[in-house]
Amino acid sequence: MSYRLQRLPVAKPSVAFAARIASVVLALLTAGLVLKLVGMEPLALAGRVLKSTFGSSFGLEDLALLFTPLLYCGLAVAVALRIGAWNIGAEGQFNLGAFAAAGIALFVPGPDWAQLPAMAVTGALAGAAWILVPTLARAYAGVSELITTLLLNFVALLLVYWVSTGPWLDPSGHALATTARLPVSVPEFWGIVHWGLPVAVILAVGLAAVFAFTRWGYEVRIGGSNPGAARYAGMPVRRHLIAVMLLSGAIAGLGGMMEVAGTVGRLQGGISNNYGYLGIMVAVLARAAPLGTIATAFLMATILNGGIILQTQGLTTHTVLALTGLILLYAAIGDEAAKYRIVKLAKGA
Amino acid sequence: MISIKSLSRRGFLNMGAAAGAGLLLPRTGLVRPAFAQAPLAPVDVKDAMIAFGHTGPVSDEGWTWAHDQGMKAVEAAFPGIRTSFVESVPYSADATRIFRQFVADGANMVFATSNYGDFLYDVAKRAPEVAFYECDGRTHMDNLGTYYVQHWYPSYVAGIAAGAMSKSGKLGYVASFPVPSVYSGTNAFLMGARTVNPAATVQCIVINSWFDPQAATQAGTALLDNGCDVLFGIMDEAGYLQVAEARGAKAVMWNTDLRRYGPKAYITSIMVDFKPFYVEQVRRRLAGEWTPTYGLLPMGQGVDRDAWGETVPPEVAAKADAARKKMMEEGWSPFVGEIKDSKGNIKVAAGQKMTEEELYHWDWSIEGVSGLDA
Repeated sequence: MSYRLQRLPVAKPSVAFAARIASVVLALLTAGLVLKLVGMEPLALAGRVLKSTFGSSFGLEDLALLFTPLLYCGLAVAVALRIGAWNIGAEGQFNLGAFAAAGIALFVPGPDWAQLPAMAVTGALAGAAWILVPTLARAYAGVSELITTLLLNFVALLLVYWVSTGPWLDPSGHALATTARLPVSVPEFWGIVHWGLPVAVILAVGLAAVFAFTRWGYEVRIGGSNPGAARYAGMPVRRHLIAVMLLSGAIAGLGGMMEVAGTVGRLQGGISNNYGYLGIMVAVLARAAPLGTIATAFLMATILNGGIILQTQGLTTHTVLALTGLILLYAAIGDEAAKYRIVKLAKGA
Repeated sequence: MISIKSLSRRGFLNMGAAAGAGLLLPRTGLVRPAFAQAPLAPVDVKDAMIAFGHTGPVSDEGWTWAHDQGMKAVEAAFPGIRTSFVESVPYSADATRIFRQFVADGANMVFATSNYGDFLYDVAKRAPEVAFYECDGRTHMDNLGTYYVQHWYPSYVAGIAAGAMSKSGKLGYVASFPVPSVYSGTNAFLMGARTVNPAATVQCIVINSWFDPQAATQAGTALLDNGCDVLFGIMDEAGYLQVAEARGAKAVMWNTDLRRYGPKAYITSIMVDFKPFYVEQVRRRLAGEWTPTYGLLPMGQGVDRDAWGETVPPEVAAKADAARKKMMEEGWSPFVGEIKDSKGNIKVAAGQKMTEEELYHWDWSIEGVSGLDA
């Protein structure tokens, strides 16, 4: 009797899910082991993180504020992945969305009820505009969107730095390297948590429904997994690619609008806080499923928030970064491992 | 260096601490005019916790390292006191989380060694029993003070030496952001240089960071390529000094003695020392005497030029030190009009002396400084 490994083209969902859980647990165990080796008390630290995060409304509010931009950026990346495009530029689109929304708030006077929707729409449009060139280059010239979207991040960041330290600098003279406080803000519904959070969750549910139940969503999924077959079947793959990538940029842009108008209140250089890059991890961990991003954005927010608590206990930012990297590494291994199964070979086979 | 990257400050609430202070605390119900302000209650050293939020790593050998020395001085002065610090605090909502965590962990006093603006004020507003300090801050609250250094004086002194040692008269400056620290630093540096070379200029490159050795190195290289032969800057590390050393140019640094990274290039450094300030403020907090202060540490008491570098000719050092002596002993200020801005407008009238407040808030370049004004 002998055994052999058999590779499946697609992992069984239950196995994939178990692999995902196992990879996160293993990553945490590894991190705990390393902490133990350097002389820290991993269990005490973990208890402290859980207590500080979930034991008070302050902790939960912080978590929710961290979760919101991660969900927008995770959704942006996940949506593009559905049609096989890597949007590495959520960071830039997020910045552009914040930039455009701040511009409306600061320079286009109007009542709150009109200004907030206008800011949301402008933020989303700005995010879409920022991915327009990479989208067309990919759709018509086959230029890798991986590189073009990535490079535009730096341009967006410099643009935000420039306006917030230059032409849009707070005229009061008391604020450095930032715009004035925006005269409107996204209303809060629980402590310091604003409506950007429920909007993001509704967006995730809506996108999941669109991909699951509409013809358009079906065609996008097919176009992503097998563009040749989709074209042969008469599906307008290029048109779908353009629409999906613009949608991806718009979601990240909306996230930027919510961050500047809901959480931070001023446009400044550090506003994106790497959410765009972390969104890639959120989407990959969720296997690009919109509903899954809710869970993985929550996990990521918990890890990052835990990281802040760990820093006040004497760990460095690099340790926290290493921990997030470790989880992604284990998840990638788990993903691949989930595609294998052990089969028993019958005698004589 | 200092402060700011993103900064934010709620400037409109800052119309004078006295008038505005009460307005800042409506959520806690603590509305009291500043003139009636009582000190925060005393704390036993065994129960005390002092926290520091830093813009860079404590190992930067620059700004953050200098503040970390201050924390160590506090630990030495008050045995048994608890301290906590976080490095590389981003200028984002994460800063709020970090400062809030300090408060949740029981901090009695929180020092932001850079300019975190609203991210700090949001926490200070909700923790009226905790003393906060913002370095290079410009906002006053009942429980929030500010502190910084009068670096423009040693920058002027260093400028005299730089002007004398430059052959091209073109000085370069590696800037973090176009903020007052950078305006006052470049302006003072050029005013010093022009006392020996009236045609001197300063060209700035802004790199959007206080700690980015790679960008600082590139900026230094670009400035030298452009004909500059003395570099100055406001960086937390030694990147552009190494460039100057390799290219046979000179450099003036900030924060600490960095001469071992470029002994031939090193002219001097704008040295900072926050140890006495931190020890004194912690003492006041523990003793129940603390109310916020808004001071600028003067030259000789928190900021000064470093000992001159080995290649600085003695006569150059003597000339620069003569100005330093006049400032320290006679209270002389070189910041007297007429001073024109980079567009040629007269901003300080002839004979008018700029106040410390004006120097601290300086937000325009003098004629001869390029690269900062939009």
